[in-house]
Amino acid sequence: MPEAPSDPVAERFRRIAARPVVLDVRALGMSFRGAGGKTVQALHDVSFQVRRREFLTVVGASGCGKSTLVRILAGLAHHTAGEVLLDGRPVTGPGPDRGMVFQGYTLFPWLTVVRNVMFGLEMGDMGRDQARSEALLWLDLVGLASKAEAWPHQLSGGQRQRVAIARALAARPRILLMDEPFGALDPQTRATLQEHLLQIWQQVDVTVVFITHDIDEAVWLADRVLVLQPPDQDHPGGWLAEAVEVPLPVPRTRAMHDLPAYRAVRERIERLIRPPRPPAAERLPVFKMTAAGDEVL
Amino acid sequence: MLAVRCALALLLAVASLRAAEPPLTVAYSDWPGWTAWEIAIQKGWFKEAGVAVEFVWMEYGPSMEAFQAGKVDAVTVTNGDQLVMAAAGKASKGIVLTDYSNGNDMIVGRPGIASIKDLKGKKVGLEVGLVEHLLLLKALEANGLKESDVTIVAVPTNDTPQTLASGQVDAIGAWYPVSGQALELVPGSKPLFTSKDAPGLIYDFTVVASESLAKRKADWTKIAAVWPRIAAYLADPATRDDGIRIMAARVNVPAAKYALAMPGTFFLDLAGNHKHFARAEGLGSVYGSSAVAHAFNLANKVYDKPLKVEDFIDPSFLPAAPK
Amino acid sequence: MVRSAWRVGGDPPARLSGVLWLGAFLLPLAAWCALSYLPWLWHPQVLIAEPGDSSFSAGMRIERAAFAAAVAEAARQGQRPPQGGRVNPVFLPAPHEVARALWTGFTTPPLRRGDPWLHQSLGHSITVIAWGFLISALVGVPLGVLCGSVPALSRLVEPFVDFIRYMPAPAFGALCVAVLGINDAPKVAIIVVGTFFQMVLVVANTTRQLDRGLVEAAQTLGASDKRLLTRVIVPGILPNLYTDMRILLGWAWTYLIVAELIGASSGISWYINQQGKYRAYDNVFAGIILIGLIGLVTDLVLGWIGRFLFPWSGQQVSRASALAFAAVTLPLRLPWLLLRLARRYDPKAARPQEPDHA
Ligand SMILES: Nc1ncnc2c1ncn2[C@@H]1O[C@H](COP(=O)(O)OP(=O)(O)OP(=O)(O)O)[C@@H](O)[C@H]1O
Ligand SMILES: [Mg+2]
Repeated sequence: MPEAPSDPVAERFRRIAARPVVLDVRALGMSFRGAGGKTVQALHDVSFQVRRREFLTVVGASGCGKSTLVRILAGLAHHTAGEVLLDGRPVTGPGPDRGMVFQGYTLFPWLTVVRNVMFGLEMGDMGRDQARSEALLWLDLVGLASKAEAWPHQLSGGQRQRVAIARALAARPRILLMDEPFGALDPQTRATLQEHLLQIWQQVDVTVVFITHDIDEAVWLADRVLVLQPPDQDHPGGWLAEAVEVPLPVPRTRAMHDLPAYRAVRERIERLIRPPRPPAAERLPVFKMTAAGDEVL
Repeated sequence: MLAVRCALALLLAVASLRAAEPPLTVAYSDWPGWTAWEIAIQKGWFKEAGVAVEFVWMEYGPSMEAFQAGKVDAVTVTNGDQLVMAAAGKASKGIVLTDYSNGNDMIVGRPGIASIKDLKGKKVGLEVGLVEHLLLLKALEANGLKESDVTIVAVPTNDTPQTLASGQVDAIGAWYPVSGQALELVPGSKPLFTSKDAPGLIYDFTVVASESLAKRKADWTKIAAVWPRIAAYLADPATRDDGIRIMAARVNVPAAKYALAMPGTFFLDLAGNHKHFARAEGLGSVYGSSAVAHAFNLANKVYDKPLKVEDFIDPSFLPAAPK
Repeated sequence: MVRSAWRVGGDPPARLSGVLWLGAFLLPLAAWCALSYLPWLWHPQVLIAEPGDSSFSAGMRIERAAFAAAVAEAARQGQRPPQGGRVNPVFLPAPHEVARALWTGFTTPPLRRGDPWLHQSLGHSITVIAWGFLISALVGVPLGVLCGSVPALSRLVEPFVDFIRYMPAPAFGALCVAVLGINDAPKVAIIVVGTFFQMVLVVANTTRQLDRGLVEAAQTLGASDKRLLTRVIVPGILPNLYTDMRILLGWAWTYLIVAELIGASSGISWYINQQGKYRAYDNVFAGIILIGLIGLVTDLVLGWIGRFLFPWSGQQVSRASALAFAAVTLPLRLPWLLLRLARRYDPKAARPQEPDHA
């Protein structure tokens, strides 16, 4: 660790370590049967554990298998090696114990906002009236009680993702899986939603696995950051390079971006994901830049 | 609406089960000799004769299909087409001769084709195996040609006018009114050979399924007895126009227009029936005509089953010949 | 403004849209009028009025070239030339003739006692279409949705359906009559055969096009397969399904012309067919235009209704038509409205319960 964590941080990690393991991923491997009979290995020997109420983020370069990983956790894809245990039981398919928020907008367009949030509750056989009143509370939590009767197409992108979070949480999952949920949003909205997500998480007993390719987002949100790497000589599929603990106190503030601890973690992850590379091929039609500007012949 | 009709049909069926036998059904189609049955329907002559019979208006091809499938008891067809159905396994007997074709069946050539002889090496569109096929064969024979001298293109009779107009064929075979439609649609086209050139080649029959004839002999006798009345109505100058009006209404065209179709059909009254039902060789007798049709059909592989044509003709249901 | 309306992806203003809609009908009509009433435009034939010494007879239609040749020939021979006026082929009647045919079709009683009036014939045709389409949809839509949702079922069903849909429905005519008799049943069957197989494939395809994300989201919310079907897939495809049905309904009409000529002849297509046989092309056109009008009106009405059926699709609805729709459907919605009112005053339902965040 580049800098010794301050006491409250150490205390926090000690407490997390004492909590039960919610999600146990063991030697996970996944290969797709691609075109022409060739198999594409997306994940290779990935193992990690997530403890109750931990906030875990996963970063990695594009195509290294982040979405594949979270889809396997959700039960929407089936791994080809290793196992995934939720509360000690193997995951075999999708279920309400693992809520998911997708990058694309997946609110049901034919249901009003409140009916969307009620969906998981009704699937759990809750009566409609009770589901409704409970859904309104969740909407209140994400700050959208006023939009309860709106149609999804009448919401902004950020509002839609907030409803999606409320919908996922309303079904009371043990673990909330998020695959680049803020990926399509502009930076301001994104920052607001990040803060919002942390506020919600502080009020709800849920464990979060959050996929992103934005290192700042990963570090600022998380207790721990998993760094996935694309396949190389030693690893036929995307592999887990490191799990980095973020030695910052909670609740997080924007000011923490300037803390040396934050910057150290950020740099470390940056180096892991983007190792210094030789310059791009000579053949590309790029101008040689000089201090005076580009040299046009 | 359909449900109501189904319910009605069911009610009727139940009612008729309780009453007596169901009404006999006859499929008839758009040919003057057969449309003439409409006169008896409209005049209530079947009721007068004490027989329950229901005439169902159909297209010619579908009427043969319905008869072949046993969905109607009788059908109006040419004597040649009766044999085609018989070869496909439908036992039936022709009990009334309504008419013989006297020009209403035609081979129509496009402009530039002056005679049947000009058809050598050309294309002729018609319904293969049906009556116009036979007419074409007869026409070719009369002009010293063989079937192999022309190319026959299978075209449903209703589509022959458009086919001739499109220039895909050089001639077509069709019966009235389709033949007239072709003549009008293709300026300069003209009849090359008509049934008038071979009178008796095509007799028009009312043909009854053998099962029904056996079961309902008395009823069919009553129905056959109505025909001479119709023929007389059309023969009498005083009533002929009314007859034509009724027939024109059946086919839904103005009577004046329909009257044009009448000369091409030679109606057979009771005497005419007995005359042409008499067993003889040659086209003067329906036996002879059917034998010719059968021979043509066999020779041209319309079917390959040898039939005894006399099995399919039975004049015994008609009233006795007038003195 | 006008220019931008005609650009790719352009947005014509409402006024222009209305004008264009009218133009869609008026332009072809104008073309038809021009062809009919401007003799120099087409009129490829000559209707002989006075045959002179030629071989023509009065009332004959002769190609212009043949007529000119005959006139020249007569002049050379010193005979009386044939006379006549330029006309269109008999199969293209003029608009006023068709309009008159439409008018008389509806106002004159049928020639034959007991025959249906024109509007009754139309009614009969619509009944046959409606039953055929209903039966098709009752089986075809659920099967299509299942095929689109369950890949194994799709593999089992779709190859054969795909094979059979290429068979021409008319070829089943004789079979339908043999099995179902000569009345309306075989006609309905032809419509069913003509639309059912297409419907299964179209609906299956529409179902497959539903955003997978929605299905997956529902799965992570604990939806069982059965509820996925009823609560996600069916509502999700409903707007597209509605459009599919509108298009398929149009297809059903194309099979009517076959259906009505098997078994006992009936309906508007028998009328068209029969009038064609006797060269009454004004009546033929009248019949064809009637079918077109029915199709157009049905589609407009269905399209209008569709805007209210799927409020989530964000379609703009004018206040006037919203009111009209509310008025028309009030009797249907009344029980439901009352139920909702009753529930609003249920004191228990009004108080939300505190969820416990265990
Ligand atoms: N259905 C599939 N069939 C075959 N290969 C697939 C499939 N889905 C993903 N892959 C492959 O698996 C690898 C990992 O894909 P994945 O979508 O998990 O990447 P990712 O890390 O989420 O990338 P991104 O950040 O761009 O979303 C990629 O090489 C991809 O090509
Ligand atoms: Mg991804």
